[in-house]
Amino acid sequence: MPSKRMKAIADWALDRFAVKQIEKSLMDRRVAKGTWYHGDGAALFLLFNLLLITGAFLALSYTPSLEGAYPSVRYITDHQTLGWFVRGLHYWSAGLMVVMLVFHLFRQILLGGYKSPREGTWLIGVLLFFVVIATSLLGYVLRWDERAIYGLRVALNLMYRVPVIGESLVLVVQGGPHIGSQTLPRIYAVHVIFVPLLLLALVGYHMYLVVVHGITGPTERTRPVASSEEQRRLYKADAMSEERGEIFFPYTAAKSGAMAGVVFLVVVVLTLVLGPGRLYPEANLVEPSYPMEEWWWSWYSALAALLPPWLATTFYIGFPIVLFLLLVSLPFLDRSPRRGLRNRPVAVALVSLCVIVILSLSSLRARSPWTAYPRAEPPPVPDGVVLSPQAEQGRQLFAQYGCNSCHPIDGHGPQFAPDLAASRSILSHAEFRRYILNPPEDIAMPPYEGRLTDDELERIIDFVMHVQITRHR
Amino acid sequence: MERRTLLTLVVHGGSVLVGVVVGLPALIAGVFPALRRRRGESWRPVGQLSQFPVGQTQAAVIEHEQADESEPRPLARQGVYVWRPTDEEVVVFSRSCTDLGCPVIWDAGSQCFYCPCHGGIFARDGQRMAGPPDRELHRYVNRVREGVLEVDVYSVPPIA
Repeated sequence: MPSKRMKAIADWALDRFAVKQIEKSLMDRRVAKGTWYHGDGAALFLLFNLLLITGAFLALSYTPSLEGAYPSVRYITDHQTLGWFVRGLHYWSAGLMVVMLVFHLFRQILLGGYKSPREGTWLIGVLLFFVVIATSLLGYVLRWDERAIYGLRVALNLMYRVPVIGESLVLVVQGGPHIGSQTLPRIYAVHVIFVPLLLLALVGYHMYLVVVHGITGPTERTRPVASSEEQRRLYKADAMSEERGEIFFPYTAAKSGAMAGVVFLVVVVLTLVLGPGRLYPEANLVEPSYPMEEWWWSWYSALAALLPPWLATTFYIGFPIVLFLLLVSLPFLDRSPRRGLRNRPVAVALVSLCVIVILSLSSLRARSPWTAYPRAEPPPVPDGVVLSPQAEQGRQLFAQYGCNSCHPIDGHGPQFAPDLAASRSILSHAEFRRYILNPPEDIAMPPYEGRLTDDELERIIDFVMHVQITRHR
Repeated sequence: MERRTLLTLVVHGGSVLVGVVVGLPALIAGVFPALRRRRGESWRPVGQLSQFPVGQTQAAVIEHEQADESEPRPLARQGVYVWRPTDEEVVVFSRSCTDLGCPVIWDAGSQCFYCPCHGGIFARDGQRMAGPPDRELHRYVNRVREGVLEVDVYSVPPIA
C-alpha cells in the first residue's frame, strides 16, 4: 500500500536525519510557563533572521565602492522590483532590533534574569548587545549618503579620542590616511561577514543556554531563590507541574511567537507606510550638510550636546566602557535572592528612570535647542505687529548680520539664544547698543564693533524694540 | 608522560599553530593601514591666493589625489574654509567640528562657524565659543607657491 510505503520513507528520514532526537529534546520537552513578555527573545530571533535574509538579498545588488555604493542603493530603492520593500524591511528590522534589544535587556534586569544559574546566558547576551549596537551604525554607513559619511566621521572622531591607539583605530577603520577606496569594503566586510558570523555563533550559544537553563519561571518570580541548586529544583517542579509548566511546542512557541508576530507586523506596516530609510544626497565632504543620526541614536546625541567641553572625551570613551563593565558585573554585584518584577523595586525604579531619560533625551534631540545655524530668510513679522519702514530695514539687517542664526523672534528660528520678542528687554537703549557692539566675554555672541554702521545698529534696535514693545503692550 | 596527556597537547598545540599561521597574517593585513603611519608632508592646492579677498572667509575645496598604487584612493574632494585676516596671513580651517566631526558652516552675517549637530560654535579665528567642542578648529599648515595656496593634508588629524 502506498500509504504504508510513505510512512516507511518518513520513518527512515526521521531516523537518518535524527529528527526524533531534536523533537524529543527541544520540541517535546516540558518547560516552565512564560508570560507575554517572554516573547521578546523570539521577536529578536525573528528580526535577526529577517535581517540575515533581507541583508543577503540586498548584498546581491549592493556595490561596496566609493563610486558604486550610492548608485547601487538608489538602484535597489528606485528601480528594482520590490527592492524598496526588501530594503525597508532591513531598515525597520534593524531599528526595531535595537528597540527590542533594549526591551529584552531591561526585562532581564527587572526580573533578575541574570541570576544563577543564568550568568553565562546573560554574559553572552551582553556581548550580543554591544555587537548589535555597533553594527546598527555600520549598516547605515553603507548607504553612502550624507548621513552615512557623517555617521562614520562621528564614529571616527570618537575613536580618535581613545588614548595612545586613537589614531591607529581611525587608520584601520578608514583603511588609510583618508576616507577612500579602502573604507567601504572594510565596513561592508564587517557588516555582512564578520558580524553576522559572530552573531550566528553568539545567538546560537545564547539560545542553547536558554534551553539548558530555561526562562525565569513562575515560582522563581514569586519567592526568593538562594542558590543555583534551588533554582534548578524549582524550575524542574514548575516544568513538570500541570498549571505552571507546559510542553514547548506548540504551547510556548505559540505564545512567544505572538509577540514576534506583533513586532513583525510593525516592521511590515512601517515599511509600507514610511518606506525604507530616506536617502540623502550622495556622501561628500564639500556641500553644506545638516546631518543627523538614525532615530535609535538620538538620545545619545542629545547627551553629547549637553556635555561641557572638559567632560566630552572622558564621557565618549568612558560611557561604553563603564556600561559594558556594569552589565558584565551585574550578576556578581546583585547577590540578592529576589527575582521577579514585584520583588525588585530598585530594578523597577532604575529601569523606569532609564526609560524616562532615554525618551526625554530623544525628544530633546528632536528639538535640538542648542543648534544655531545660518538662515537666509529674515524672521517673519509677528502677528499683529506693524513695522515702521526703519524697523523693517532692521528686520532685513537682522538676517543680513546673522542675528537670526541664533536668536528666534516670537518663536521663529533657532532656540539657541534668547527670543528677542518674548523677553521683555531689561536693557536700556544705550545698554542694548553696547551689548551688540561688545557682548560680555562669557556670552557666545560675536562683537559687532566695527562691523555695523551707526545707522544699521539703530535700525536693528528699532526692529527688536518695536517687536518687544508691541508684544508686551 | 601519559599517552592521553601527550595527545591532548598535540591536538591543542596543533590547533594553536593553525590559528597562528592563518590568523596572524590575516590580522596583520587587516590592521596594515595603522602600521603604515602617515609620514612627512602631502601638499595639495586649494586655489589661487588672489581668489581669497583680504578680511574674508570663504569656502574652498582640496582636490585629493592618490599618491601611487601603494596608497588607497581618497575621496576626491574635501571642503575647507580659507580666512585671510591680512594680506600676508592665510588660515585654512578644516570643516570638521572638533567635537565629533560634523561639517561646520560659515555664516558671513554673524562671522561665526556653526556645527549642525550638537551646538558647537566657533569664532572667525576658529576659537571655540559654545557647545561641547574642547578645542579650536583644526588649521592646515599652508604655503603659497607661484600664487597658488597649498595645504599639507597631513598637518591635521585624519579625522579633520
